[in-house]
Amino acid sequence: MVPPQAESGRNACERGMGMEETSELLTGVMVAILGLVGLVLASGALDDEMYLFGFSLAGFAFAFDFMLIRRHYDRQDAQRAAVKAAVHHG
Amino acid sequence: MADTAVMGPPPVYNEAIVRKFTIATMFWGIVAFLVGCTIAAELCWPGLSFGLPFLNFGRLRPVHTSAAIFAFGGNALFATSLFVVQRTCRARLWGGEALAEFLFWGYNFFIVQAALSYVMGYSRGQEYSEPTWHLTLFLVLVWVLYAAVFIGTLMRRAEPHIYVANWFYLAFILTVAILVLVNNAALPVSVFSSREYVAYSGVQNALIQWWYGHNAVGFFLTAAFLGMMYYFIPKQANRPVYSYRLSIVHFWSLIFMYIWAGPHHLHYTALPDWTQDLGMAFSIMLWMPSWGGMINGLMTLSGAWDKLRTDPALRFSVTAVGFYGMSTFEGPVLSIRPVNALAHYTDWVIGHVHSGALGWVAFITFGAMYYLVPVLWQRTRLYSTKLVAWHYWIATLGIVFYMTSMWVAGIMQGLMWRAYDKFGFLEYSFVDSVAAVHPYYILRLLGGLMFLAGALIMVFNLIMTVNSRSTAQVAQPWSPGLSGAVLAGE
Repeated sequence: MVPPQAESGRNACERGMGMEETSELLTGVMVAILGLVGLVLASGALDDEMYLFGFSLAGFAFAFDFMLIRRHYDRQDAQRAAVKAAVHHG
Repeated sequence: MADTAVMGPPPVYNEAIVRKFTIATMFWGIVAFLVGCTIAAELCWPGLSFGLPFLNFGRLRPVHTSAAIFAFGGNALFATSLFVVQRTCRARLWGGEALAEFLFWGYNFFIVQAALSYVMGYSRGQEYSEPTWHLTLFLVLVWVLYAAVFIGTLMRRAEPHIYVANWFYLAFILTVAILVLVNNAALPVSVFSSREYVAYSGVQNALIQWWYGHNAVGFFLTAAFLGMMYYFIPKQANRPVYSYRLSIVHFWSLIFMYIWAGPHHLHYTALPDWTQDLGMAFSIMLWMPSWGGMINGLMTLSGAWDKLRTDPALRFSVTAVGFYGMSTFEGPVLSIRPVNALAHYTDWVIGHVHSGALGWVAFITFGAMYYLVPVLWQRTRLYSTKLVAWHYWIATLGIVFYMTSMWVAGIMQGLMWRAYDKFGFLEYSFVDSVAAVHPYYILRLLGGLMFLAGALIMVFNLIMTVNSRSTAQVAQPWSPGLSGAVLAGE
């Protein structure tokens, strides 16, 4: 007998991409494109402002996407831990 | 109340993003007030820029205005709108956590980049519209996604009715998008250059700039904060809105009239007289919906006025509505052409703007923050009500110093500039008027420092509210009988 919380965790893994996963993927791709645009802008910058903005945008995209990746794996770890704990106690 | 009980517990709201915007509101508030005090001191003692270009008044002034309006005010509006739309629609934010995170980090990235560009000397040179084209494009992306999240949440609502606060927030989101897109239309010198050619020229450019500028005040600093008023005052007072019908009339009349009032910024210019008259007429007509809203906000306290004695956070919100009424009376008066002849280009206008910005925008935000922080961090109460009272009185006194000094300085400037001697020559040179207002500039600085001190007290109080053991709450299950839960559309 699998407890309900373990079932819900398993369902979340099995039912494919939900709102959160889709949001992470689309937002992550959008921000990655922004980062590339930033690098292009910095590479051809004709003034200090564009140079700073381009590199800052690339840095922003890098940090933001790593945050999304970390959140994704943290959530997966938490789900696995919940399933394990539930099975162990059940 | 019965409906709420039948519908069961609300969904799990995305409050993490509201907490982030709340923290950013506090941070940028301090930055805005600090830079404001710095440039006020520079006006008293110009040597304080030390000859450094990035400390020059001309570069720091847009940092101050943008930090106050877009950083402090903008983050407060993001925080409260995303809080209110979830609660009043009984729906979690549309678009998922990642998109909400992008709204927060993207918007604040824009603010930091804009501030850096100003201190580096890059600007479009148009008031409240200084960000250069690439920053504007980035802002537009963030804003469109903000609209998508807000509208998406409205569309997935579990409540049949859209609460009036959401109408104001929605008008703010949509109109600001249109204003920015039209006013910032430009042709970049190169895709790799931050320089641009503005799409309009001459008086057309001036008209569009002030159509934008006045409606930035109207929709960013007024309509959106009215949304805040319509949610948080009923919650704080634990009373329903005085007249829901009046709030709808308030909304439509304000939205219709505000958009026409911009030309009053261009009296006695090359703009055709009829356009100036149109702007003036609509500005005067605006008085009515503005005061309708003020009356609705104040009368919401009917039967709960005693709470002002015991709840200084509510005092902030109610005083804000008082300042809203005052500055929306002063605005139409200033838009009358003969009054404008005296007041325009003087410090009276600066005083008027700050009675709105400090008295209305900042005070209604402070009231909302004092309400929000214990709710968001699940605390039983604020750390110190006494500190809220100290904040209230110091900040109020600061505004009084600011406004009265600017009134006196402004009217004096206007009178000195138009004074003729018996031979028909100007009686005073411009520098005479600069010397005459010096004491009032020091008084203004004192007022600003008091406002900053009050905000620092608030930040300390809110940090202690979050961290102190004395405010910690024992976790309780959701209860349909929560006090005030249904008063503001929930």
